[in-house]
Amino acid sequence: MRPRLFPWRKATETMVQNKLLKIHNLHKSYGDLEIFKGLSLAMDRGDRLVIIGPSGGGKSTLLRIVMGLEDIVGGDVYLDGKPYILRDGGKTKIDHKLQARVGMVFQHYTLFPHLDILRNLTLAPVKTRGTPRAEAEAKAMALLDRFGLAAKARSYPSQLSGGQKQRVAIARALMLDPDLLLFDEVTSALDPELVAEVEAVMMELADQGMPMMIVTHDMHFARNIASRVVFAAGGVVVEDGPPEQVLDNPQVARTREFVERVFARKK
Amino acid sequence: MTYDLQFFYVWQNLDKLGRGVLVSLELTGLANLIGLTAGFAIALMLRARTPVLRVPATALVELFRCTPVLIQVVWFFYCVPILFNLFVDPMVMAVLALGLNLAAFNAEGYRAAIQSVPREQYDACAALGLGGWTRVRHVVLPHALRAALPVLMTNGITIFQQSALVALVAIPDLMYEGKMLSTETYRPIETYTVVAAIYFAISAPISLIVQRIEARFDRVQA
Repeated sequence: MRPRLFPWRKATETMVQNKLLKIHNLHKSYGDLEIFKGLSLAMDRGDRLVIIGPSGGGKSTLLRIVMGLEDIVGGDVYLDGKPYILRDGGKTKIDHKLQARVGMVFQHYTLFPHLDILRNLTLAPVKTRGTPRAEAEAKAMALLDRFGLAAKARSYPSQLSGGQKQRVAIARALMLDPDLLLFDEVTSALDPELVAEVEAVMMELADQGMPMMIVTHDMHFARNIASRVVFAAGGVVVEDGPPEQVLDNPQVARTREFVERVFARKK
Repeated sequence: MTYDLQFFYVWQNLDKLGRGVLVSLELTGLANLIGLTAGFAIALMLRARTPVLRVPATALVELFRCTPVLIQVVWFFYCVPILFNLFVDPMVMAVLALGLNLAAFNAEGYRAAIQSVPREQYDACAALGLGGWTRVRHVVLPHALRAALPVLMTNGITIFQQSALVALVAIPDLMYEGKMLSTETYRPIETYTVVAAIYFAISAPISLIVQRIEARFDRVQA
């Protein structure tokens, strides 16, 4: 990072200029299988990125890397202009302070089955942020209420439908006030009639300006929620632009081929 | 076969069998105390990265799992005192033998249960900033102990049945009292039948509880 002249002063100008997320020359492989071959991607505060691409192309891996769940082989990730993930001395270094500003919602909810819904929401803020329990519970109840789940506060995850579980998972991530929220195929495990309720919650967050990075197979939803669509294939970003471009009028042949195949299957 | 069943002598001496039951339950209780605590410690050693902890734990577990309990009891009773110049109450030796045997089996139960905690739960913890002891205490252990409970309970009642082996080294448990009674009364069929019935009457309800817990657990998992 460039040294600052007045380190005690908040560098307002640079904060505005800083990308929320910047991935630079990312390399990742599983054994011999190369997933990313120098992928670069940047994201502004107002962005809602939907990542599309062939299956096995590392869409979920990309989110997992940004969450700090995966080792990388090379490259670096900046959050808010600060080095977040990098390779150093043959090891992946993750800045855990910055990691705490990223939240993630998983395909399989990953709620804690032994805790009721309220405790699922309050565990992290109470244990890791030192938030007083009463305060955390008030916030949790407000979130549950907003998502139409207040009546379920004392239920256990096993008593909820998939759609309800996923909305709880989103609320749980929001408890920590993330600057960036990652959604990894959050509707893929849901019965079709439950998809809408989860997508509605995500649309609501989008309307409030929550920066998101989304991996989804639902192209219709992608078009609705995305401010930008990123087509990643072969370990790099192939095309990156507004949904009208990438989904309706792709500029790159490879994207066009993929999009046509996906929409042909849908029809 | 015309054998005239006579339970009279057994009923008359039920107090002796009762004393035996108490000894058997005491053995089982103490063995479970060792089994539940030492078993957990051994399970943690089994999962340790350093071989200094892992190798002896593995050796201990396999030794107890791959030899008959009968040999273990006899060995503790006859060999340990001489080998280690350790002459203590036979009851202590019996508890040690059964307790360590149970610890070995429970260690495997705990280990499997810890391993059964889904990978995704760790991902969720990382995404929520839950790490270290907080993660162990609030996510891994509640998960693992629930998964281990049926196994631990099954092992626990198995040791109650296997405690009958200590009769061989003259500890006055239910089996031993039964043996004495049958010799005294010349009524082995009646006596052993009643002894078996007592073992069954104590084990069966616990076994049923285990089944219920397992069924409930399956429901929660689904």
